[in-house]
Amino acid sequence: MRKENGAQWLLLVAVFVIATCGLIYELVAGTLASYLLGDSVTQFSTIIGVYLFSMGIGSFLSRYFTGNLLEWFIRIELLVGLIGGFSAAILFLVFPMAASFRIILYGLVSLTGVLVGLEIPILMRILQDKVEFKELVSRVFTFDYIGALLASLIFPLLLVPHLGLIRTSLFFGILNIAVGWYLASYFKKEIKQGFLLRMLAILLLLAELVAFVFSESIMSYSETMTYNDQVVYSTSSPYQRIVITRNKRELRLFLNGNLQFSSADEYRYHEALVHPALSSVSSLKRVLVLGGGDGIAVREILKYPAVEKIELVDLDAKMTDLFSTQEVLRSINQSSLLNKKVTVHNEDALTWLRNNRELFDAVVIDFPDPSGFSVGKLYSTVFYQLLRKAMSPDAVAVVQSTSPYVAPKSFWCVDTTLQSAGFLTKPYHNYVPSFGEWGYIMAFTNTNRNWYAQMPDSLRYLNRETLTQLFVFPEDMKAHAKLETNRLNNQALVNYFEEEWGNYLE
Amino acid sequence: MDRRTFIQWGAGLAGLSTYLLSCKPERKIPGVIVGANATRGHLLRDKESHRPANYIDKELVIVGGGISGLSAARWLRNLGIKDMSLLELEDHVGGNAHYGQNDLSAYPWGAHYIPVPNNDLTEYLSFLAECEVIVNTDAGGLPVYNELSLCFDPQERLYINGRWQEGLIPQFGVPTTEMKQIELFLQRMEEYRYKKGNDGKDAFAIPVDRSSKDPLYTKLDEITMKQWMQQEGFSSESLQEYINYCCRDDFGTTMDTISAWAGIHYFASRKGKGANASHSDVLTWPEGNGYLVNSLRRSVSEFIETNRLVTRVTSVKEGIFIDYLDGKTGQVAGYRAGKCILAVPQFIAARLLEDKVRQQLVKEKVHYSPWMVANLKVDKLEERSGAPLSWDNVLHGSQSLGYVEASHQLLQQDKTQRNLTYYLPLTQEPPAEARKKAQAKTHAQWVKEILDELRIVHPNIDEAVTEVNVVLWGHAMAQPLPGIIHGGIRQQLAQSPDPRIQFAHTDLAGISIFEEAFYQGINAAKKMVE
Repeated sequence: MRKENGAQWLLLVAVFVIATCGLIYELVAGTLASYLLGDSVTQFSTIIGVYLFSMGIGSFLSRYFTGNLLEWFIRIELLVGLIGGFSAAILFLVFPMAASFRIILYGLVSLTGVLVGLEIPILMRILQDKVEFKELVSRVFTFDYIGALLASLIFPLLLVPHLGLIRTSLFFGILNIAVGWYLASYFKKEIKQGFLLRMLAILLLLAELVAFVFSESIMSYSETMTYNDQVVYSTSSPYQRIVITRNKRELRLFLNGNLQFSSADEYRYHEALVHPALSSVSSLKRVLVLGGGDGIAVREILKYPAVEKIELVDLDAKMTDLFSTQEVLRSINQSSLLNKKVTVHNEDALTWLRNNRELFDAVVIDFPDPSGFSVGKLYSTVFYQLLRKAMSPDAVAVVQSTSPYVAPKSFWCVDTTLQSAGFLTKPYHNYVPSFGEWGYIMAFTNTNRNWYAQMPDSLRYLNRETLTQLFVFPEDMKAHAKLETNRLNNQALVNYFEEEWGNYLE
Repeated sequence: MDRRTFIQWGAGLAGLSTYLLSCKPERKIPGVIVGANATRGHLLRDKESHRPANYIDKELVIVGGGISGLSAARWLRNLGIKDMSLLELEDHVGGNAHYGQNDLSAYPWGAHYIPVPNNDLTEYLSFLAECEVIVNTDAGGLPVYNELSLCFDPQERLYINGRWQEGLIPQFGVPTTEMKQIELFLQRMEEYRYKKGNDGKDAFAIPVDRSSKDPLYTKLDEITMKQWMQQEGFSSESLQEYINYCCRDDFGTTMDTISAWAGIHYFASRKGKGANASHSDVLTWPEGNGYLVNSLRRSVSEFIETNRLVTRVTSVKEGIFIDYLDGKTGQVAGYRAGKCILAVPQFIAARLLEDKVRQQLVKEKVHYSPWMVANLKVDKLEERSGAPLSWDNVLHGSQSLGYVEASHQLLQQDKTQRNLTYYLPLTQEPPAEARKKAQAKTHAQWVKEILDELRIVHPNIDEAVTEVNVVLWGHAMAQPLPGIIHGGIRQQLAQSPDPRIQFAHTDLAGISIFEEAFYQGINAAKKMVE
């Protein structure tokens, strides 16, 4: 009798663990789907729906399970532990294959649901001869719902903040399997394949433990998968995540997941950025580069022998260090950052400009796109007014100004802002295969000059004929509306940019 | 397992999660309660002081170095007055616009912004030009504001229904019927903004004294804002919460006590227009209005004497005798002035003058709101979803006013640390009790209260915060209760017992804003030279 009673309670504890685990898997799937796909309301609602429906299917199917029910119960337990435990890791890894992601997501959710749905009916059948029916129903469901409550509390409070999603699901997978293993040991006399089941449980347990320990690398492996090519280098600076990938043909640099250049066609971008402006300054001695920590713009600038000194201001020391030391990267910028004409300042460009008293003959501005309020400041009237003070009367500045095809309002907003800061402008654009149509704006105060007279020979992209085409804008790259000036107190550009790129990427 | 163990077990499990959360070691957050000024100020209340042995002659003495006193001094200096002293209790001038500084940036201890000024305030506009807040005038005659002073975008966000929304007017998750009321309310305020009374004056003007005396509007000073809201059928809870927030923000008191006239004035008095700004824009600096204080201070620095606790002001035929205690030496000393401006709150003025009638009147009619202001230095904060960190960050339904990012106006792009200024008007109890309770609280108690609230929006606040300093303002501002502005009390208090003594303080304006203090100073100064 004592043993009988113990067994009964043990099974009820199993219900409790199962219920907790079951809900945790559902929550993990919901959270992960909202992380990766966005729109948390839809994700949670569909996942809960699919999960509950699958539990129904499981309950329905339970009638077809006959024979040694206890053995079935343990098998299912182990299976839930396996599938549920690895669910988060699997989902993170398959996410880059975006097309099939939802199928796998709902597949996993349904499978877990079916298995969890099988458990309770089978368990009730195991216990039906041992307990009176009203007692049985009452106890099983009490434990089931308490488990659900516990799961819903500890998931947001303890698990996600402290373990993360991958480890949370593995942890509960381990719990599931441990319960399976314990049941198999406890009832070894009542089941035939006890040894086999126990061995299987230990094997699965080990697998999940290993995965638990190495979950960090699962995470970073999944990062590798988000990029198409092999990640050869990745690091985080205080300001951004720097990732370099390569394939047979090219090397690519990503900052916070945004492509900065591809070695295959970066010359198209950098020649277009630097030469129209620099070739139009007759006395070109001092050049200022703002942003452009990859040193590639500097490589182009060094093609002008008259240049005596180049000041480069880039916030991120990690970027400039990387591009001064790494051999592969130095082969791209031709060690430009090590040239003795070049001085690197790792400072905030706006603060640096405010303190600057020097005048420059040319300024090349190669900031990231204005995708946030802090970068938006570097495209504001205040910034351009400071820029004007740093330019000699004959100087020309050039600003990389995002894509006039994807974001015409953003592009022409930069133009408007430059003009309202007192500049005359020449907007232009070219085609860079890995970016698409890209735009630049030259800003100056003196238009009386010999435009493009000093163009270096033997450029890979620019020649006389292409030069004239740069300044022609087709209709779909024009603004067609009056645009606001980008000021610190309206950040109009950031709003345009968000709207336009947001629509484009949707 | 029997039933009892089962219950124990279940309870144990439920407790486990909370236990695990709470067993994190308590970290002592560095910081202090800044300023022991209450103690020094209370000397005036509690101690009899001796008369000084001799008095130094001065043409003019200003008591109080807040905005009113500084503005009076500036005006008088511009008129060429040289034989003048400005006596300040603290070791710095600035009053409510005081500020602090750490390695990151300056941060305000009180008043921290001004709205874009109304264009008829000529003297004020020219002062702002002096401060380089106005840099130019455009072809149409509109002032061009310094873009470094105009509050950068994003300016305001509100945490409501589990999400940060842009702007402070409740929208996210607010039912349509309530939204309609909010719209209607704002429309009414927009109408009031340009209403004129039967005397041709603006219904709601700045300074308050320039407002119309048309009873149609002044009768709004007889009821509370809450009563007016009820009369007009503004029953929406979200709207009421918003209005209550505004009242606490500007007047340090709730909408069920404040005058409806003052409440509407908050919304309808701003009509300013600049070449690059409108009346809804604000001007701000890391040090808050300390920026303007510094400009005022520089213009009159030779007259300022700090650490001077004025204890008595006596007017006799021979002159105005001003006794003070030197905070550094502990000695009593005095000035015999030809004229004197009392640029202090009325509860102090009444005591200095030893004027029992005034003391009684102030005690009955003028109520001062106590405030707590804290400055937090924080590392990177975890954010809830919705609008990004803004200048002003408010939690809907909170007792506090949320926080302002003091480092918002810094130009650098990436800030790994920030200074946040947290404002809490102590409106839950009547001022005297609230004041007493606040003074009894320890630094650790304040820190706990602040973090408990900020944890809602920044889950990692406990790890991110590196320093919290606290300031208590026992008598931050006089509350514009019904009857204060148009009921004759102000006018009665403004009456000077001696024409050689004039008052200058926002107490007498009824509302505590920079412009009022600025003009209080100028008006008193003008009377000095009449």
